[in-house]
Amino acid sequence: MESILQALISGLAVGSAYSLVALGFSVTFTTTKTLNFSHGEFVSAGAFIGMSVLFFAVGKLPTSTSFGGADPGTMAQLGALLGSLAVMGLIGWLLFVLGVRPFAKRPGMAWVMSTLGFGVILQSVGLAIWGPKPVVVPSPVGDDVIRFLGLGIRPQEILMLGVSVVIMVVFDHVMRKSMMGKAMRAVAQNQSVASLMGINVNRVMVGAFVISSAMAGLSGFLLAPIAQASLFMGLAVGLKGFSAAMVGGLSNARGCVMGGFILGVLESFVNLWSAQWREVAIFGLVILVLAFRPNGLFGTSTVEKV
Amino acid sequence: MNLAKILKRTAVAATLSAAVVSYAQDIKLGFNGDLSASPSAQSGKAGVIGIEAAIADINAAGGVLGRKLTLVVRDDQSQPPKSIQNMSDLIDNEKVVAVFGPTNSGNALAWRHIPNQKKIVSMGMIGSGTDITKPMSPGADNYMFRVSMVDREQVAALVTYASKLPKKTIGLMGETTGYGQGGLKDLEEILKLHGMSAVATEKFGVADTDMTSQLNKMKAAGVDTILLWAQGTPIGQLMRSMEKINYFPMVLTSWAADNITFFDAAGKNLAGKPIFMRTMVSPSTPAQKKLYERTASKLAAPSAFPFVIHGYDAVLLVAEAIKQSGGTDGAKMKDALENLNAAVNGMMKTYNKPFSKIDHEALTASDLSFVKWNNDQLVGYTDNIIKSMSVGDYKR
Repeated sequence: MESILQALISGLAVGSAYSLVALGFSVTFTTTKTLNFSHGEFVSAGAFIGMSVLFFAVGKLPTSTSFGGADPGTMAQLGALLGSLAVMGLIGWLLFVLGVRPFAKRPGMAWVMSTLGFGVILQSVGLAIWGPKPVVVPSPVGDDVIRFLGLGIRPQEILMLGVSVVIMVVFDHVMRKSMMGKAMRAVAQNQSVASLMGINVNRVMVGAFVISSAMAGLSGFLLAPIAQASLFMGLAVGLKGFSAAMVGGLSNARGCVMGGFILGVLESFVNLWSAQWREVAIFGLVILVLAFRPNGLFGTSTVEKV
Repeated sequence: MNLAKILKRTAVAATLSAAVVSYAQDIKLGFNGDLSASPSAQSGKAGVIGIEAAIADINAAGGVLGRKLTLVVRDDQSQPPKSIQNMSDLIDNEKVVAVFGPTNSGNALAWRHIPNQKKIVSMGMIGSGTDITKPMSPGADNYMFRVSMVDREQVAALVTYASKLPKKTIGLMGETTGYGQGGLKDLEEILKLHGMSAVATEKFGVADTDMTSQLNKMKAAGVDTILLWAQGTPIGQLMRSMEKINYFPMVLTSWAADNITFFDAAGKNLAGKPIFMRTMVSPSTPAQKKLYERTASKLAAPSAFPFVIHGYDAVLLVAEAIKQSGGTDGAKMKDALENLNAAVNGMMKTYNKPFSKIDHEALTASDLSFVKWNNDQLVGYTDNIIKSMSVGDYKR
């Protein structure tokens, strides 16, 4: 029983990372019908920007490879969070202006290639600056295991879990209730009509990419103390996050977060059975969902009116 | 053709042949391994530092057969295709007489047919994969030698240790990479030789951050001794998962735990728990200490120093083979290595007939030491079981 509860709670913790990434995919999709296929690399970049701010705060070069037990403190952690949000938001704006907008209206998949290319560039620049070694990043909420009823979880995992739920609620509310959300959905539905209704389409699209990339920065910042900051950390989490969005429903925030939790818990339960079948189970589920519920378990089917 | 032209041509030919003569006087050695891309790149860099130190010392003492040694270094960025290309380049274009490296075991397995076909000695001094020094087919001439850690030897010692524990319920764990799976296979085979078996075998991904599910299964099976094969970072994550469920069986693991990445990942308190093996604890002889002082500032972390020593000794062994065979013919050098007459006084130890036709490992289980972390230092580990162990107990 204890091991099942532990698997559940560990799975939720792992799944919350997937949820945040899935939300990042969802934001641009619900607005522009395009995706940043380098979202995973953006997560890595966000982690390294946060890490560099922390290194700076403890008086080390941003290219150092170890904190050596130094604790940067709350203000520095806050600075790191703001730093990765701001820098990644800026990179998101660049991505849209340089990599998506010029291609989005053209037929074909040029924007897919250009977002992928953007990720390769980010990773290569990162490797040139920081090198390949993973760095252990101190957590803003401490590292001592919290125990209850014989179960254990780390504070950073609880933080990530909480943040993903809060962001889900906020997004859900904004998308359904606020004017901004309506504008975003309108842009996704029909750009020219939205434009005629007085919506600044360009601004909404830029906003979506900035928010999505800032979310990647947030994911990186939160994930680094758990998984270590590494330029390759984004690859796996990006793919799993995208799968989570597929399972839950790319076009709705609740679905994305639930999809992340479902994948995380499934992974953890498969580990209880036989870990080598884990990836088979995950991607098997993704294929099943795509076959029977193409809009995801929580997605509503869109009816194209002609 | 007028006289001037003939004279000019003769002069050019003379200059060329003079250049060839001076070129032939130096003996070219090669290094092929990762120096930049994977976390093991640190080990590759340390190895090259050791090779360069040995070459400098040999040249200062007059070289080999009166000729100076030089080194050509090629970075394979841990990629097998690049490593294969480097190997051909070093042998065919650079005409090196022996190649050191690689950093990653998988790359040696990818190209070991090349030195064997071209009859050029390859002296490994980093990668520890068991199969690297096996002949391409039983009884075939084998140009792959090694002076470094060997996975199978570590496993032999660790399993012997486990077999002597008064009470043991053994579990096996490994990451799902070639390295982890190879280690698991060695562990299972050698446990069988001791007439033992594991009550549970669990795997995990190299980038996993939570292995509590697998550990809970170990706990449920009553495992009190885990034999674990993985790289530094995942071993650290496994220790952190143990802390989550407050389950701390004895952990016997691979030498990847000596990497600073393990120490960083596990943190100071958890890093001290696993016991593992290393080719040395810390520089202890005067010669080792002197070499450490000479090279420490260039090392990424002090724990990379054994690779300096292995690189140094690899050059000494190759130099002795050149001396004994009286030249740089690859086949003769191989024969000389398999039957070295003189003892080679290395940094790690004195090598007395280190290789034979069938044994291409300069270091074996008896050269390894049990170690663990104590704060941020690697220290020797011993207890009554280790004291009672002898090499005769090892089964391979």
